Amino acid sequence: MFYRQSGVHHTRYQTARRLWPLPTDQGIVWLLLALAVAAPLYLSDLYLTSYLLPWLIWSAAALSLTLLMGIAGQLHFGFAAVMAIGAYTSIHLTRAGVPFELALIGAGLMAAGIGCIFGAAALRVKGLYLVMATLAMQYLVDWTIINVPAISGGAQATLQTPDVRFLFVPLRGDAMLYYGALLWAVIVTLLVLNIKRTSFGRALVAVRDKDFAASVIGVNPFKFKLLAFFASSFLGGVSGAVLAFCYYQAVTPEQFGFNVSIQLVAMVLVGGLGSVIGAYLGAGFVLLVPIILTNLVAGAAAAGWLSVSSNLLAHIPLMVYGGLIIGFILFEPLGLAKIYDNLRKYFLVWPFRHTQS
Amino acid sequence: MDISYLIELLINGALTGLMYSMVALGIVLIYKSAGVPNLAQGAMVMISAYLIWMFGSLFGLPIYASIAIAVVAMFLFGLLAERLLLRKMVGQPIIMIVMLTLGLEIFLRGLGPGLLGAAPKQFDLGINMMPIIVGDVFINREYLVGGIVACVLIALALLFFRTRIGTKLRAVSDDHVSSWSVGISVEKAIGISWGMGGIAAVAAGALWGSVQGVDWTLSMLLFPAVAVVILGGLDSIYGVLIAGLVVGILGSVIPGYVDPIVGGGTRDVVTSLIILLTIIFRPHGMFGREDIERV
Amino acid sequence: MKGFMKGLIGAATMAAVGFTGAASADNNTIKFALLQDFTAVYTFVTDEYNQGQRDYLRLINEEGGIHGHTFEAIVRDTGNEPQRGIEGYNRARREGAVLVDFLSTPVSRAAVTRVLEDEVVMITVLHGRGDASDGQTFPFVFPMMATYWSQAALLLDYIDQERGGLEGKRIAHVYIDSPFGREPVPVMREIAERKGFEVRTFAYPSPGNEQSATWSDVRRFRPDFVVLWGAGGGQAVSVREAIRNGIPQENILSVVWMAETDARTIGTELATGIKRFEAVATGTDYPVMQRLMEKVIEPGHGAGDPANVGTTYYNIGVASMAVAVEGARIALEEFGPPLTGDKLRQGMEMIENFDLDGMMPPITLTPEDHQGGGYGRVSTWNGEAWEAVTDWFNAYQDIVWEEIEKDAAGFREGR
Repeated sequence: MFYRQSGVHHTRYQTARRLWPLPTDQGIVWLLLALAVAAPLYLSDLYLTSYLLPWLIWSAAALSLTLLMGIAGQLHFGFAAVMAIGAYTSIHLTRAGVPFELALIGAGLMAAGIGCIFGAAALRVKGLYLVMATLAMQYLVDWTIINVPAISGGAQATLQTPDVRFLFVPLRGDAMLYYGALLWAVIVTLLVLNIKRTSFGRALVAVRDKDFAASVIGVNPFKFKLLAFFASSFLGGVSGAVLAFCYYQAVTPEQFGFNVSIQLVAMVLVGGLGSVIGAYLGAGFVLLVPIILTNLVAGAAAAGWLSVSSNLLAHIPLMVYGGLIIGFILFEPLGLAKIYDNLRKYFLVWPFRHTQS
Repeated sequence: MDISYLIELLINGALTGLMYSMVALGIVLIYKSAGVPNLAQGAMVMISAYLIWMFGSLFGLPIYASIAIAVVAMFLFGLLAERLLLRKMVGQPIIMIVMLTLGLEIFLRGLGPGLLGAAPKQFDLGINMMPIIVGDVFINREYLVGGIVACVLIALALLFFRTRIGTKLRAVSDDHVSSWSVGISVEKAIGISWGMGGIAAVAAGALWGSVQGVDWTLSMLLFPAVAVVILGGLDSIYGVLIAGLVVGILGSVIPGYVDPIVGGGTRDVVTSLIILLTIIFRPHGMFGREDIERV
Repeated sequence: MKGFMKGLIGAATMAAVGFTGAASADNNTIKFALLQDFTAVYTFVTDEYNQGQRDYLRLINEEGGIHGHTFEAIVRDTGNEPQRGIEGYNRARREGAVLVDFLSTPVSRAAVTRVLEDEVVMITVLHGRGDASDGQTFPFVFPMMATYWSQAALLLDYIDQERGGLEGKRIAHVYIDSPFGREPVPVMREIAERKGFEVRTFAYPSPGNEQSATWSDVRRFRPDFVVLWGAGGGQAVSVREAIRNGIPQENILSVVWMAETDARTIGTELATGIKRFEAVATGTDYPVMQRLMEKVIEPGHGAGDPANVGTTYYNIGVASMAVAVEGARIALEEFGPPLTGDKLRQGMEMIENFDLDGMMPPITLTPEDHQGGGYGRVSTWNGEAWEAVTDWFNAYQDIVWEEIEKDAAGFREGR
């Protein structure tokens, strides 16, 4: 009815190959973008700064990881370390007087450089062994940051982000920080969406599906695996820097620990491996569900519906969260993106029940 | 530096390594037949320790009786985990299985401390605290007991694979489909291997729990155990023994000499490097079976 | 599909309930946000500490509040994750909280700039930035009890005064390999230079469940005293290893994170004689604890297991809230309602010689000094309980303040 394919005729290849060929899809995207841009006007600072802002940045980080895990098929359990490298590089660069724009690029390059070393393991092994190798590198990076005071910032091991300007606009105040994050999320989204349509993206997919087969058809797996690590780490490094400047405003080693790496992988998997919308949904799930659950459980306890010890109360969200991850992997391995897709298809043919695809 | 220092580092390192092997043994037993890398093994160790504490302190049973009950409980837990969770994952990509076990880990880390209390608990196995002193070398009695228990468990596991059920398990670990075709119940075999993983977790939980107290940090034993498993080979029980010794000794001797120079605890660095170097130079580990991949 | 839609609507309703959260603000209720880590790194302390805090607030309410105001604790779990702490903080601030306590160093550090901007008082009892003692630089952050620097200085001074002097001694600093473990090192080195003794540092890897290699090294250093700087499960392992390596219990000194549970893990007999820094007295032999027993615990209003009442961390929780409530009382008397973060800050800065009837050292907070003097005492495990062996005192505050000034200056310069 209001959401359909019929009547949409493509007369030129350009229109058929657009990112969103359906007018309704375009409408939704524009609406979401408009809502996001106008968010500071209608959202209270609580939801703006504690929900939407971190969600956008973590989505950008999850998208960077999606590029590696979903599109190129290389598992990475040390992505928080990559983000940490970006965050620390950007802070040290800006404090040395480098303009913020260049510092961001520096952060990306540094993260990409070191990220490629992570990638070196991928040239030898894949699957489970790659998981373990990247996990070990996460520990090495963490250890280096903690044990080198010049990086972590002396006795307090905290580095405050200096005041910076981005394209002549001072990055201060909730709204500006939010727009910084939004800009980065939009850039990464467009990039990842488009990478899927380029020869580079198709080569990555070929390597993902079977690297031996890819080399038979003339795609050099060696080169494309490394390139995937480079690109993804670059984006991850900048995301780490954006996270530090726009959200935390101070970096400590604990912000990029091993558990954050696990969270990032959970975001990508729960969202749906390789899906862009999935990265957003997954990041929202992993980041916000524990928060909402904590508030829910506390609210239920305050209302007297739940009379258990405070200790159990605090652990219920952890159990539910773990249970939800298990549930998603068992019952919807394609993730939240698949649920969205089902929904979309349902409306696509509504009021009828069945789709062809 | 003096030689007794080196000997002491060697012996205590080897014994600690064997204590890690107990955690690693569970991972290997499960991987060997099921092909599942169980990253929830650390959490299973924690749950075992909580169970022992619960039966011992809350119900007032003698410590060895509560360990026995915990063994039964964790065997059942292993069976259940396989039946309810992992059986549905057959044929899924490895990353999904890894994430599932991590989800299980998170769940267990909420369950144990949530129901039984997050503040550290303690139980006593009755091992004499004082060290065995040989010359200028102090040997930790708790680790000695742990090392012996680990060796016994590994020997039992090896023997088990020579029994009738064990032979079936070996067949299953070779090839699921052909085991099926000769009438071996693959599901049952995998279930049993999960149960045995649970038993190994109880042994580790009892010994580590008595050394450091029972709280969620027990689940962090996963990391050294992973190093042992990777170095030894994911499906090799001999590997657990040898790699446990190697990881323990390197993780004790190298920090023993390097820490004073660097001024930081380098053991995790050594562990990480063991994982990395193994994967780069010999991904299947010292004794693991090399996978042959077909396009 | 239908089932799925139902689920979606259900989830949305649930989320809406979660979003709306607790009741609306009431002018006569003062809200303290206790957003702590119940599920991750700080589990060894949070339960008892938080229980003490809530029981004390309950006591004040049972006694009619202060000047007609009652207290409400907003309790949430942060899991030691900064983003969850910041969310909880923003939510609590919107609900009108004037004080926040994270009991987590990473979360507190991430919140420092926010509380300074929002004018919300943040208490960082025995955690967080030590340099926040500088009230001029951190007007809204109150460490309130001895910083780790003061604790190290005090333990060394105890050796100097009561254990035969420091000169020529060999002291081993055995610490968990983290910024927390390393924090007291500069102060110890400075004192070592002044008093002429030797300090050597020995790190063990986090979380400290296995330390044998470290202790083989410590034994060969032949230390006269061992100072332990860890927390949680690692502490018990440290003490057992120390005893195993032939260090007499009397010569083992620990940072404040050593409690009844640790002594039980070590073995109550075996632990006899070990020393620790003590910020707040343990036990129930104090007027405030008696009032608590009578009005909160015995009627069954306690926030948790009554067995925890009087333990080390429980009493620290009680003391932390007592100081905060005292600050609120002064603020209400001086500036009148409604209580804001800024008024509470000024009230707390007027606290003078507040000692909770002897349960804690007399602390005096000023606009300059938010540490309260860095007092504490040394106590020992007597087989059943922790027993004080010294009076309340402080030590080497000049050196401690040098460190505070140095780091605070770094913060001001944007580091």
